Amino acid sequence: MSAHTMQTPVLQLRNLGIAYGQAVSGERRWILRNLDLTVNDGEFVTVMGSSGAGKSTLLNVVAQTLQPSEGQIVFRGKPVGGADMPPDPGSARQIGYVTQDDNLLPWRTVWDNVMFPIALARKPTPSDIEHAERLLEQVGLSAWIRHYPHQLSGGMRKRASLARTLAYSPPVVLMDEPFGALDAETRAHLQADLLNLWATEKKTILFVTHDINEAIALGDRVVVLSGSPGRIVLERAFNISRPRDPELIFKEASFAGHYDAIRSCLRGAGH
Amino acid sequence: MNKTAIDRAILAVVVLVIWETIGRVAGSYWISTPWLVVSRLWELALNGDLWFHGRYTLGEALGGFVLGAVPGCLSAMLLRRHPFVRTAVLSVAAIGYAVPKTALVPLFILWLGVGPGAKVALVASAVFFIVFYSTLNGVDAVDGKLLQSAKVMGASERQILWHVVGPSVVPFVFGGLRVAIPYAIGGAIVGEIISSNRGIGYLTQYGAMDFDTTLVFVSLVVVMFIVLSLSAVLAGVQRRLLRWQSDSQTSPQVVGA
Repeated sequence: MSAHTMQTPVLQLRNLGIAYGQAVSGERRWILRNLDLTVNDGEFVTVMGSSGAGKSTLLNVVAQTLQPSEGQIVFRGKPVGGADMPPDPGSARQIGYVTQDDNLLPWRTVWDNVMFPIALARKPTPSDIEHAERLLEQVGLSAWIRHYPHQLSGGMRKRASLARTLAYSPPVVLMDEPFGALDAETRAHLQADLLNLWATEKKTILFVTHDINEAIALGDRVVVLSGSPGRIVLERAFNISRPRDPELIFKEASFAGHYDAIRSCLRGAGH
Repeated sequence: MNKTAIDRAILAVVVLVIWETIGRVAGSYWISTPWLVVSRLWELALNGDLWFHGRYTLGEALGGFVLGAVPGCLSAMLLRRHPFVRTAVLSVAAIGYAVPKTALVPLFILWLGVGPGAKVALVASAVFFIVFYSTLNGVDAVDGKLLQSAKVMGASERQILWHVVGPSVVPFVFGGLRVAIPYAIGGAIVGEIISSNRGIGYLTQYGAMDFDTTLVFVSLVVVMFIVLSLSAVLAGVQRRLLRWQSDSQTSPQVVGA
């Protein structure tokens, strides 16, 4: 079963808010506000929300590529970022980020891209190399490690990008609609791969998606953002046993209930 | 041999035949003839004159090239993280770029004498701006998402400069360098024509004063050869450095010179 047995908070967002504009002139526009969320160790949390509800902004704030206007980001009980702290993107490599774009360095081969974040910190050890090899094997890229990104398909680049983030082992991984731009079949494969990797790598994942099926198929729990400024309007645990087959998730007895709850929440709020 | 190569060879032969014919009919005084040019070239190569003059021109061009390209590239890179300095520098650079470099030759001669120094300065001043602006274009074109993602992975400023900014600027730098090569040789030649007693530019000038059209054409052929070989060398280095690019990306963006 999933991580609910452990219940150790690894990532906490406390009263998080982000606004654009100047505070003094009173023209601040809040994108997210009063957002509290606790993610437990090893948990897979999916994030949904109507478009414009600030899903991507939330991940950017947690990754600290955007500075929050108020509130705190706490990692294992220790504040790592917040409105009153200098930005530290990635919180000293504790938080990895798989963005919508693969962001592979075009001048590096798949292998050198995967080793890049490791090499930033240290000379890769034999166990680093073995880990990277295993990850590339798991995402089916073993035969492509000497290729450059432009020689790969979109799905393969996505896999490489996923392997790169997992290779340097940040305990928390943020994923922003990583499979959004892919065709249905590739997406189903990658979802299955991701669940396998999550099981073997024991990561805590915060996963943004706009696809209700995906949110239920992958997550232990969903949080739905809505409104302006965005806040959490629904938190719902799924309690669907693992391992799961993402393609057949709709056959689960509880699927329809979860689906309707999320959909009505998205509808009621967004449009 | 493929079809294009055959077509090119045919075109070259046709041009040479026309040149030779006109030269013979109208007299070699006006445009010389290919045959005269080749035999004179051979003669100058054997008696060492070609090497004597060629090495001055080549030395001035390469020296000025390095003295212009390296600071041009580095200063553009340095401006990346300093937007205010950048604005100030750019307005000054615009003035420098606008001044015709050949108009500065008298000044360079005043400062550095009639020796190679003035020619090197002329070449450097022309090359600097070409490389500076194309590198600046490259610095502006660095993908912000790559920078962010490297930061999230814990890259320091130095690592970002070395691993992200550097490689993405390389195609632009090479674009600038390849545009700069003819300007470097051209600058050296112009400098020599204006005042000198050695170099290919001097040969050209001397040939014209002496009504020796063949010598003028010999100089032109030598210059052409130098420019083409340097471009070929640079293109080779570029291909080697940029093998990560897809074929459609291989001709880099070049700022007008």
